[in-house]
Amino acid sequence: MSTPITVGSRRPRLDADAKVRGQTRYTADIALEGALAGAVARSPHAFARVVRVDVTRAAAMPGVRAIVYAGNTPPQPLDFGIKDQHLFPRPYARYAGEPVAAVAADSEAQARAAAAAIDVEYEVLEPVLDAQRALEAASPLVHPDWKSYEKLPTRVLRGNVCGYNRIRRGDVAAAFERSDVVVHASEFRFSPGLPGYIEPRAAAARRETDGGLTVWCGSQSPYDNRDELAKFFGLAPERVRFINQFVGGAFGGKIIMAPEWYAAALALQCDRPVRMAWSRHEDGLHAFPRHGGTASFRSAATADGRLVAMRASFIYDTGAYIGYGTGTALISTMLASAPYRIPDLDLEATLVYTNKHVAGPVRAPGGPQANYAKELHLDELAALLGLDPLEFRLRNAWEDGDRGPGGQKLSGVRVKEALRKAADAVGWGTPARPGSGRGIACTWWFSSCGESKARVEVRADGTILLASGNPEVGTGASSTALPMMAAEVLGVDPARITVVLSDTATDTYDSGVGGSSSTFGAGMAVAAAAGDARTKLLALAEDALEARTEDIELRDGRALVRGSPDHSVPLADLARKAGGSVTGLGESAEQDDPEFDESLTETHGFASWLAPSYTASAAHVDVDRATGAVIVRKLATAQDVGYAVNPVGAIGQIEGGAVMGVGWALTEALAFDERGHVKPDLKDYLMPTAVDAPEIETILIESSPGVGPYGLKGVGEPPITTPPAAIACAIRAAVGAAPHETPMTPERVWRAARQE
Amino acid sequence: MQPVTPIVNGTPREVVVEPMQTLLAVLRDQLGLTGTKEGCGTGYCGACTVLVDGQPVNACLYPAVDADRRDVTTIEGLAADGGALHPVQAAFIERFGLQCGYCTPGMILAAASLLAENPQPSAEQTRAALAGNICRCTGYQTIVAAVQDAAARLREQGRSGETPGTRSSIRSRA
Repeated sequence: MSTPITVGSRRPRLDADAKVRGQTRYTADIALEGALAGAVARSPHAFARVVRVDVTRAAAMPGVRAIVYAGNTPPQPLDFGIKDQHLFPRPYARYAGEPVAAVAADSEAQARAAAAAIDVEYEVLEPVLDAQRALEAASPLVHPDWKSYEKLPTRVLRGNVCGYNRIRRGDVAAAFERSDVVVHASEFRFSPGLPGYIEPRAAAARRETDGGLTVWCGSQSPYDNRDELAKFFGLAPERVRFINQFVGGAFGGKIIMAPEWYAAALALQCDRPVRMAWSRHEDGLHAFPRHGGTASFRSAATADGRLVAMRASFIYDTGAYIGYGTGTALISTMLASAPYRIPDLDLEATLVYTNKHVAGPVRAPGGPQANYAKELHLDELAALLGLDPLEFRLRNAWEDGDRGPGGQKLSGVRVKEALRKAADAVGWGTPARPGSGRGIACTWWFSSCGESKARVEVRADGTILLASGNPEVGTGASSTALPMMAAEVLGVDPARITVVLSDTATDTYDSGVGGSSSTFGAGMAVAAAAGDARTKLLALAEDALEARTEDIELRDGRALVRGSPDHSVPLADLARKAGGSVTGLGESAEQDDPEFDESLTETHGFASWLAPSYTASAAHVDVDRATGAVIVRKLATAQDVGYAVNPVGAIGQIEGGAVMGVGWALTEALAFDERGHVKPDLKDYLMPTAVDAPEIETILIESSPGVGPYGLKGVGEPPITTPPAAIACAIRAAVGAAPHETPMTPERVWRAARQE
Repeated sequence: MQPVTPIVNGTPREVVVEPMQTLLAVLRDQLGLTGTKEGCGTGYCGACTVLVDGQPVNACLYPAVDADRRDVTTIEGLAADGGALHPVQAAFIERFGLQCGYCTPGMILAAASLLAENPQPSAEQTRAALAGNICRCTGYQTIVAAVQDAAARLREQGRSGETPGTRSSIRSRA
């Protein structure tokens, strides 16, 4: 590949003009002729058996057009690897807020009134609201009938335990007994957190006259959602069309369908479209939060600061259903000891059902939690040894040739470089004022490719169309990085490329936004599609220019003969010669993870990582000893991105991740009351504002190529994984100790500072 | 039900509203101005920020009846008549001050109103003025840079202190 021109340059977002003018359409902005309003009736109980649902009274109310509930929707369970959930309770409602029915009516007020008038008889059961409690033998079962569930053979299910994995190497117990080591143990507790997207979820659905169904949505994975919904309702997938809109933030919270289910179920029973735009509160009642949980760590190091052993155990509260909760546990054991050389390891993670909301894969599942615990724990160990935190990390950090927790052999390791650069950015080693401190933390993360298809059409009217199934959720991957990559191959200005938002009618499957895979997987597909179009254009240009393919280049929207730029033809003319358009197709496939040592792992399907990246963050904080209030002055993140397709886009991900990390570290806690009712409103769930956000410095490391296009690695998730840990360590540096529970509220910091 | 006539982006728009109806509902549902977003409906996130007589308000809390004969500027009314972007809009694009774009209309209007009152805000003053607008994507740094950049452009163009948006020429209220 020649030196890229477009790719690698700093580009404003191609969707920015419409966004600053307020012209961008999100799902709730779609007006559908004659649309009914949908409303959901939700269980007020954390745990109950639904004895009876009587819709008679509601159905007779003015304006009501359809009601869906367990009595008139398909009976089969949903499938997330463990078939533990139904669209509506059959017969258990397992969290406060779980939908029991939905109503479509002429107006929203009518729909809400009718939803409230559905007579549901509940047998109220004792809920399980604490994960530790759920593990006790005497605990009630969240799923009394768990033994009857179908599941994948790789999944662990026993009572309230719905996930477990372990990585073990060497003899940890013996290492802790060595006479030449210092042993340190710490316990941690993490709060659950919301993804915090600003656009509440919305969906609309319309039954088409041919029996098909159209769904308008703002999803992270419209194709997989489409397939799941079609299968559930017994429709052929090609008869169901999901048209994704611009998405107002997602962060892992919009992978699993939510309003789409109810709008679709209602629309299938109506001859008018059904629209459902959730309020912030209702969105919160149906949220898929980041996992809360606990961790206990015990590690040993020699007097000169060499780590010799670590035992770590995580227990995560995954809520009422498994959903996509498994990744948090798998990733946590991969982070617990990394990126450090520790000969003896025993790392385990357990997922536990409770009668709470379904925890999901929020941006970097397990990342903030595991790194906060691990880094603060090791910081404390370094302090016991009298070692500088940075020096301690540098002594133990991986180098090329070291092995990951699962035995994977590592190369291109950039931990030390990231540590040093982040540390330099906050003035590490220079004196700090009293009450002020610096902390540092590091980690690794995976790249994932996903599966994606793309189509590029060069048209005779001069336009170029790019269809990728990859949704634009705000990252700029789909709207900007993908057209940049196509533009590079076709030699055009990326602004000339029109991006078709993810729409299943374009038949360009994409496995969705997740795992930091968009620019990687969808990028590969787009580059391949553009390459296919390029090959066809060159063949056409061969005739038009009477030159050989190898002498022709594509530049500035033309094919031209190298060395004689006047001898050229516009791409549009070539498209006309081809009958109106030249179409290129491309796709990418999932890439296999590297080999790992299965003898070290137990029920762990993710014990080696493709093209890992390395990230370090350093924080500089001020702590008010009198109140415990923490002000983050500066956060610096040095991240190994492989290659930045659009550097401002990559930096934007890292800055946004840093502030999301500040929130999870200091203020964000999804609270539940004693009845298990969630408190998701923004008066209770405190996300950082501009005055809470620190100065952020970002350092991109581009010296260790990954396996994505141009050597890129996934960028979106790592930047939230290290800031909370760095802030915790900085608090420890400032006042001698940091809270072992998030969020690190003023009261907790004050208590920690007093060594309570 | 009550007829009210807010002057929306320079044009009087007669609408009939219920006593408790919000300005947000009127703008989005009756006037089709969907550039104004609902993020929380409770006045915490600022996504619905519009300007009423130049002052930023949360349209999700602002009673529509109170907008009678007042100038309401929404994001659709911020660019000049010919479509030229307001310097705040232009700076948000160039400084990468947005990602998903959902908080952007409210954020831009809050910023534009700040600059009408303070032509040269410090970074700290900028952050304080935007504290009612939550952005989950950017981390705010690029937004602050965009606002400061816009302030410089407005000063260069001699437009410091200019009230953002199209002003009504037929306002009857003093």
